[in-house]
Amino acid sequence: MELYIALKIIWALLLGVLLSGLAIMVGMDMGVGTLLRFVGRTDAERRTSLAIIGPHWDGNQVWFILGGGAIFAAFPTLYATSFSTFYVVMILLLFAMILRPVAFEYRSKVDARHWRASWDWAFLVSGALPMIIFGAAFGNVLQGVGFHFGWDGQYYQDESFVWYLLNPFALLCGVMALALAVYQGGAMLMIRGMGDLAARARRFAIGGGLLALVLFAIGGVWIRFIKGFAFTRSVDPGMPATPLGGPAVVMRAGAWLDNFHTHPLLWLLPALGACGMLGGPLALLARKPVLGWWLGALAWIGTIFTAGGAMFPFLMPSSTTPAESLTVWNASGSAYNLGWMLGFAVVFVPIIVTYTGWAFRVMKGKVNPATVVADDHFY
Amino acid sequence: MIDPTVVNLSRLQFALTALYHFQFVPLTLGLSFILAAMETVYVITGKPIYKDMTLFWGKLFGINFAIGVATGLTMEFEFGTNWSMYSHFVGDVFGTPLAIEGLMAFFMESTFVGLMFFGWDRLSRPAHLAVTYLVALASNLSALWILIANGFMQDPAGARFDPVTMRMQFKSFGALVFSPDAQAKFVHTSIAGYVSGAMFVMGISAYYLLRKQHREFAARSFRIAALFGLVSTLAVVTLGDALGRMDDLVQPAKLAAMEGLWHSARGPSAPWKLFALPDDEKQRDAASIGIPYVLTPLVAHEWKTTIPGIYALERAAKARTVSGIKAIIALKSFGASHDPAALAAFRKHENDMGYGFLAQRYAPDQDLSAITPALLPAVLAKTARASIPNVFVEFWSFRIMVGLGVAFIVVFAFGAYYSLKNELEKHPLVMKAAMLAIPLPILACEFGWVTAENGRQPWTVYGWLPTFQSASSHGIGYMIFSLAGFVLLYSLFIAAELYLMFKYARLGPGEHTAQPKPLPVPVRPVFGQPGYAHKPWQ
Amino acid sequence: MKDLVKFGALALVLLTALLLAVVAGDEGPWYFAWLVGTTMIVLIAVSSAVLFETQEANSLATHKETSQ
Repeated sequence: MELYIALKIIWALLLGVLLSGLAIMVGMDMGVGTLLRFVGRTDAERRTSLAIIGPHWDGNQVWFILGGGAIFAAFPTLYATSFSTFYVVMILLLFAMILRPVAFEYRSKVDARHWRASWDWAFLVSGALPMIIFGAAFGNVLQGVGFHFGWDGQYYQDESFVWYLLNPFALLCGVMALALAVYQGGAMLMIRGMGDLAARARRFAIGGGLLALVLFAIGGVWIRFIKGFAFTRSVDPGMPATPLGGPAVVMRAGAWLDNFHTHPLLWLLPALGACGMLGGPLALLARKPVLGWWLGALAWIGTIFTAGGAMFPFLMPSSTTPAESLTVWNASGSAYNLGWMLGFAVVFVPIIVTYTGWAFRVMKGKVNPATVVADDHFY
Repeated sequence: MIDPTVVNLSRLQFALTALYHFQFVPLTLGLSFILAAMETVYVITGKPIYKDMTLFWGKLFGINFAIGVATGLTMEFEFGTNWSMYSHFVGDVFGTPLAIEGLMAFFMESTFVGLMFFGWDRLSRPAHLAVTYLVALASNLSALWILIANGFMQDPAGARFDPVTMRMQFKSFGALVFSPDAQAKFVHTSIAGYVSGAMFVMGISAYYLLRKQHREFAARSFRIAALFGLVSTLAVVTLGDALGRMDDLVQPAKLAAMEGLWHSARGPSAPWKLFALPDDEKQRDAASIGIPYVLTPLVAHEWKTTIPGIYALERAAKARTVSGIKAIIALKSFGASHDPAALAAFRKHENDMGYGFLAQRYAPDQDLSAITPALLPAVLAKTARASIPNVFVEFWSFRIMVGLGVAFIVVFAFGAYYSLKNELEKHPLVMKAAMLAIPLPILACEFGWVTAENGRQPWTVYGWLPTFQSASSHGIGYMIFSLAGFVLLYSLFIAAELYLMFKYARLGPGEHTAQPKPLPVPVRPVFGQPGYAHKPWQ
Repeated sequence: MKDLVKFGALALVLLTALLLAVVAGDEGPWYFAWLVGTTMIVLIAVSSAVLFETQEANSLATHKETSQ
C-alpha cells in the first residue's frame, strides 16, 4: 500500500515535469510562431525565424503528445474527464496544433505572396491560441469544473463551455502563458538570430517576460479570493482509484493557500517563478540570451509547480459535486501500471534529454539568412 | 440515457480522422526504410547520385511526414475528447502503450527527423546514415506500440476487470506486449507500409522513365523500390493469412463476417465465397459463387475443423447475454452498496458482463433491471443481432484488400524482373501499371483498417465494452462543431498536400537537389557564424 | 587501443543483437520475424542497387570494346 502511495506521488511530480517540458519546449516554438509576423518584416527574416527552430520543433512537439499519453496512462479518469468536459476548447486546441506542422512544411514550398502570407497568419493563430488555452485550462481547473459521475464511471458535464473560454481568471492565466511563450521564443530568436531580427525579438521577449511577472503577481493575490477545495477529513492516499464514494470536500475562499501555510517551504516555488520572470528580461537586457532562455525555463517550472503545489492532492476539482473531485489519490492508474510506466520513464527520459541536447548541439550557432533564402530545403 | 446519434457521430468522426491519418502512416513506415537503403548505397559506393536520391525522396517523405504528425496528434487526444467511458474503462492498460510510444519511439523519430533533413553538412556520412536508420526504426517502433494498444482492443490480454474501480486493471505487461494479435497485426501493418512506400517510389520513377527524364536517377530508384517492394508484398500476404487464423481463434464473429459465413462450415468441402452479396437485413446472401474445398484449409490450415457461422454465434451470444444482464445488475448494486453478496453474484457472471452492457441499449430506458420476462426474448434477439459486425462491409473490404495485395505481387514481380534485366524501357506497360498503382497500396491499407475495426464491432474492447457504451456524453451541437472543423481543415490539408506532392514529383530531382541555384551573395555555411555585421540579404 | 574499443563496441552490439534475438524468438516469434525480415528487405534492396552499378560498369566496358 505504501508503494502505491509513493507511486501516485511520483507520478503527480512527473506530471509536473511533463507539463513543464511541454510548456518550455512547445511554448518556445509557439512563441516564435506568434512573433513571426512581428519580428520578421521581410520574407527572408521570417524564413530565418522558422529555420531557427526548424530542426527542433518536431521533436519539441512530442512533449505535447507525450503529455497526452502519460496522463492517459497514469491518470486515466483525469484524461477521460478533463478532455471531454473541456471539449470545445480542446478541439480548438487540436485544430491549432494540427495546423502548425502543416504550416511549417508547406509555407515556403510555394513562392507566392498570398500563399506565404496566409501561412504566416496560420502561425500566429496556431502559436497564440494553444498557449492561451493551455493557460486558461489551468485557470479553470483552479476554480473547479462542473461535472459529476454516473455509477459506471462515465462523467456528466454540468456547465456550458462558454464559461471555460470567457472567465476573467482563466483569461489572465491564458495571457500569462502566452506572455511566457513569447518570452521563451524571443530568447531563442536572439540566441540564433542576427541583426534586426534579434533586436526586435529582444524587445518582444523583454515585454513578454515582464508582463508575465505582473500577471503572476496579480494571480497570486487573486487566488486568495477564489474558492479553493479542501477535504473535510483525512483521506487514505492508498485508496483504490475511483472518484465515487469519496469523502466530503468543501469549497472555501483561500483554501488553495492551505498547503503553503502547512509547508512554508512551498513558498520557494512561486519565488523561483518570479525570479525567472524578473531575471530573464534582465539577462536579455544584458544581451545574455542563453542565460535568459534558462531563466525562462525556470519561470515556467516555478509557475507550474506553484499551481500544482497549491492544489495538491487535487487534480481537477468539481465545483458542482465537490465530493467527486479528481485527486492524485482517486484518479490514478493501478500500482502495477504506474510501476511499469515509472520503469520506462526512468530509462527513457534521460535518453531523450541526452539526444535532444545532442541535436541542439549539432545545430548550434547563428542562422544565416542568405543561405536560408538560397536553399529551398529550408522552411 | 445514451444518445445513439451522438455515439454515431463520434464513431463517424473517429473513423474519418483515423482513416485520414492512416493515408500518411504507411508511406512514412515504408519510405523511411527505403531512404535508409538508398543512403546505405551512398555510403557504400560513395556515388553522389544516391545522395540526390535520398534528398529528393526525403523531400517527398517530409511533405508526407508533416501531415502524418499533424493528424496523429488528433488521434492521441480523441480518446479523451470523444471516448471518455472507454478511456476511463481501459486507460490503466490501454494508455500505457501510448505513453511508451511517446517515450520510446515518437521522441526519437521527431528529434532525428530534424537532423536527417538539416544535418547533412554537420554530420559525418556514417553518423547521418545512423540518424536515417534511427528515424526509420523509430517510426516503425511507433507503429509497434500503437498496434499493441490496438491489439488490446481486439483481444484484451493482460488485464482484468476490477469491480471496485469499475475498470480494466493492468495485470501482465508481458501478456499485453506479446499478445499474438498485437504481434501479427504489427508485422502485417508495418510491412504493408513498406509495400506502400515501394510502390510510391517505383511509380514515380516509372513516370520519369516513361517521359525519358532523369533516367540515371529513375532507373536506380526503380530498381531499389522494385526489389524492396517484391519481398515486402510476398511477406505481407503471408502475414495477412496468419492474421486471419488468429481471428479464427479470438474473434470468430469477425472471421464469419469476413467470409460471409451465415451457416457454420463443417468438414473439408465447405465452399469459399469468391463473390457474394450479403444482405445484413435478411441475414442471407442475395447471390453468391463459392469454390468448394477451399475455405477450411485456407482459414484453419487443416481439413476437419468446424468454422462457426453467424447463426451459431448469435445463439451463443443469447446465452451469454442472459448471464451478462445478471452480471451488470449485480455490479451496479455492488457499486452502490459494496455488498459482498452482490460481488459474489457478479463474480459468477463476470466473464459475460460485456454482453450485459451490450443489452443495455435495448432495455427499457436503457435500464437492465426494467427488463420483464415478457420483454426478455426481444432484448436477447436484438442484442444477439447487434453482436455481429456488418457483414457486407466486412466481406468486401476484406476481399478488396486481398485482391489488391495479390495484384501488387504481379506488378512488383514484373517490375523487378525487367529492372534486373535492364529492359524496362522495352516494356512501357509495366511502367504504366506501376504508375497507376501508386495510390492502390494506401487504398489497400485503408480497407485493411476497415476490415480490422469494422470486424471488431460492436465492441471497443472485444467482449468487454460495447462501442455504444464508450462515447463521451456530449450534445449533438458539440459533435457538429468538431466534425465540421475537421472536415474543413482536413480538406484544405489534402488539397495542399496533393498540390505539393504533384508539384515536386513533376519538378523531379534535377531541378532542386543536384545543383544549388546560383546565389546573389557568396555562399557561406548555414550556421556557425557569430557576429554578422552587415546585411547582404537586404 | 582504438582497435580494442572498436572491437569492444562491436562485441557489445552483437551481444545485444543476440540477446534481442533470443528474447524475441522465445516470447514474440512475430517480432523476431519482423527484425529479420526488415533487415533482409533492406539488404536485398541495397544489393540490388550495387548490382545495378556492376551491371552498368560491365555494359560500359563491353560498349567500349565493341566500339573500338
